[in-house]
Amino acid sequence: MASITLPQLTEVPATPGTLKLVQRERLMIGAHIITAMLALMSGIFMGPFQAFHRSPTFIQYFPTIPVFTYYYQAVTAHGVMNALFFTTFFIIGFCYFVVERSLQRPIKSVLVGWAAYALMTIGLVIMLITILGAPQQSAVLYTFYPPNIAPALFYIGLVLLVVGSWLASANIFLTYRDWKREHPNERVPLAVFAILVNFIVWCVATIGVAVEVLFMLLPASLGILKTTDPQLARTLFWFFGHPLVYFWLLPAYVSWYTMLPRQAGGRLFSEPLARVAFLMFLVFSVPVGLHHQFSDPGVSASSKGIHTLLTLIVSVPSFMTAFNVGAALESAARNRGAKTLFDWPFKQKWGDPVVAAQLAGMLLFIAGGFSGLINASAQLNATIHNTSWVPAHFHQTLGGGVTLTYIAILYWLLPAIRGRALFSKPLALAQVFTWLIGMTLFGLAMGEAGLQGAPRRAITGQAPYLSPAAAFWLDMTAVSGVILMISSVLLYVNFFGTLFLSRQPAPAGEVPIETVSGDRTSPLWLERWGIWLGALGVLLLIAYGPVFAEVLDFQEGWNILRYMPTSNAPMP
Amino acid sequence: MEINKFERYWLIAVGVTLGAFIAATIVAVTVFGIRLPSPVERVNPQRLDQTIFASPGVRKIADNRYEAVIVAKSWAFNAGPEAGSPPVLRFPRRSQVTFYVTSQDVMHGFQIEGHTINLELVPGQVARATVNFNRPGEYNIICNHYCGAGHHVMYGTIIVE
Repeated sequence: MASITLPQLTEVPATPGTLKLVQRERLMIGAHIITAMLALMSGIFMGPFQAFHRSPTFIQYFPTIPVFTYYYQAVTAHGVMNALFFTTFFIIGFCYFVVERSLQRPIKSVLVGWAAYALMTIGLVIMLITILGAPQQSAVLYTFYPPNIAPALFYIGLVLLVVGSWLASANIFLTYRDWKREHPNERVPLAVFAILVNFIVWCVATIGVAVEVLFMLLPASLGILKTTDPQLARTLFWFFGHPLVYFWLLPAYVSWYTMLPRQAGGRLFSEPLARVAFLMFLVFSVPVGLHHQFSDPGVSASSKGIHTLLTLIVSVPSFMTAFNVGAALESAARNRGAKTLFDWPFKQKWGDPVVAAQLAGMLLFIAGGFSGLINASAQLNATIHNTSWVPAHFHQTLGGGVTLTYIAILYWLLPAIRGRALFSKPLALAQVFTWLIGMTLFGLAMGEAGLQGAPRRAITGQAPYLSPAAAFWLDMTAVSGVILMISSVLLYVNFFGTLFLSRQPAPAGEVPIETVSGDRTSPLWLERWGIWLGALGVLLLIAYGPVFAEVLDFQEGWNILRYMPTSNAPMP
Repeated sequence: MEINKFERYWLIAVGVTLGAFIAATIVAVTVFGIRLPSPVERVNPQRLDQTIFASPGVRKIADNRYEAVIVAKSWAFNAGPEAGSPPVLRFPRRSQVTFYVTSQDVMHGFQIEGHTINLELVPGQVARATVNFNRPGEYNIICNHYCGAGHHVMYGTIIVE
């Protein structure tokens, strides 16, 4: 992990846009990125084995799948490590880097930065030990709904991750405040603007899960509380659970908006509208959680209707992004000689892994965006709710657009951290395209299986109820699992190769980070955070006030948490 | 703040697209009568014997109209002794069935293949949904919410005759 010694970086001339890391940055950012990749490694390889468990044909020929014998343990590890730990570590490391470089100042407190890292890393270790040590008891999946209660260490690991991320958020906010005091009439660079939005969303969203874990799940796990309320817990979880996906997505958008245009050889189309898009995420990404609860019996249909509308609105900034980034890519292709209406997608730098990974991610993300609009449509929910359509959707978005963009970032940031060139560019390209093919097949197969009634997160390979069509598509899912496993191996060959085997010095001047905002047209009121937080507060009150009143059931007095579970953890 | 001409066209197209999605939702609710679950009643999962869930099963309430009361527990659906385990429920063609379902232990799911019924079974809450069975055939009831090690074998069958 952090014990990898980073050699002294050879100084390169400090021309604009040049990537030059000082030792302090390399350690801090390197620690976060490398820990993130180790967390991902412990989760990602569970994925293909889950796909094998879900395939009736595979199970028929290999009744006992080696390595990961307990499917639900693998699902828990895959979700918790990939979606919670990998993302949080990676986002914080990447955002420190962007903030320091864009604002040209170190983060507010290096000490707090390390304290946050230490908390999160302890959380990671505790979580891994718990999932490996108590496979049955800790198999509560990454949504950990009660009355399934995991060992207390599971929740303590989560608490440490979230508290660490709060410290990191404060560090970023205070760095911005210091910068703003020195530059009162300047617009903050777009990348930092987006990162501030991202951490505000994170801090608001995590209130929900913090209340759930600290006041319901952890006390229940410790035996202090004997009762719980699953409906309240689900509502608190999804207050957190949907904005969480924007916390993953916005750093990828930072790369698409502020780095990809230069990496691809073009320029961003409209910076003011990019800011408007990010502000829309700030206001609309939290009050939408009920679209995960359309099938819940304890929440009224009218509130679900309001959240449907808000969910459709939160797709607007992504549509704006598609135009803005698409136009930037078109300008890049025109610079490279594209002439006709439809040749510009092909005249991209498909041979550059950093660009290709982001383009491949966008293709998957477009599919994920439309499957998401279907999920958000309340009347279609009964067709796809809790079926394998849902993991198909979020593997196109999180596993496709977001993760491939993080991998693109890794392919330039890791060499800068290590001071060595990427181990192998052809391997990186092979990784990107196998990922694109594998995830496309995965999305298609899981989506189709879901439409044929196959449930998500179940050992469908042994289920007695599968239709032949669902069985066929689940077999196809196993095929995609093989392709994605190859892609993952390629990713880690390059990762460890760059860390330990690469001998070439890192290429200089490759990182396109804005240090000052070239934007003179964005209105300054876009940066009046109080207004936007106020708008978010009002919207939260409208969208969630009635929901919590209903779930807490005040009409019958203060008698929440009255349900006593008869069985605790999922027993074998 | 200036907005480019093409970007304006794009935003209008986005507005129209989302308008179509919203219109589809409204049509689904008003014309096709698709309803999302709404609160029915709370029950104490440990005191189900004092509620309608004391005797699960299917009751005929009118011509071609039925009520089915089902209790989910790890890892089976209990639809009364007549239905057996895993339960098999039979309805004539063109019958309308209202399901009342709850869980007595952990979270479960209740989905019927090929029909617009897909419920989260939250302990302490009664889930209700009405389904029209118009096409003859066999449709599985699938628990689609993770409920522990035996989750994938929790199911039932509906036969429309």
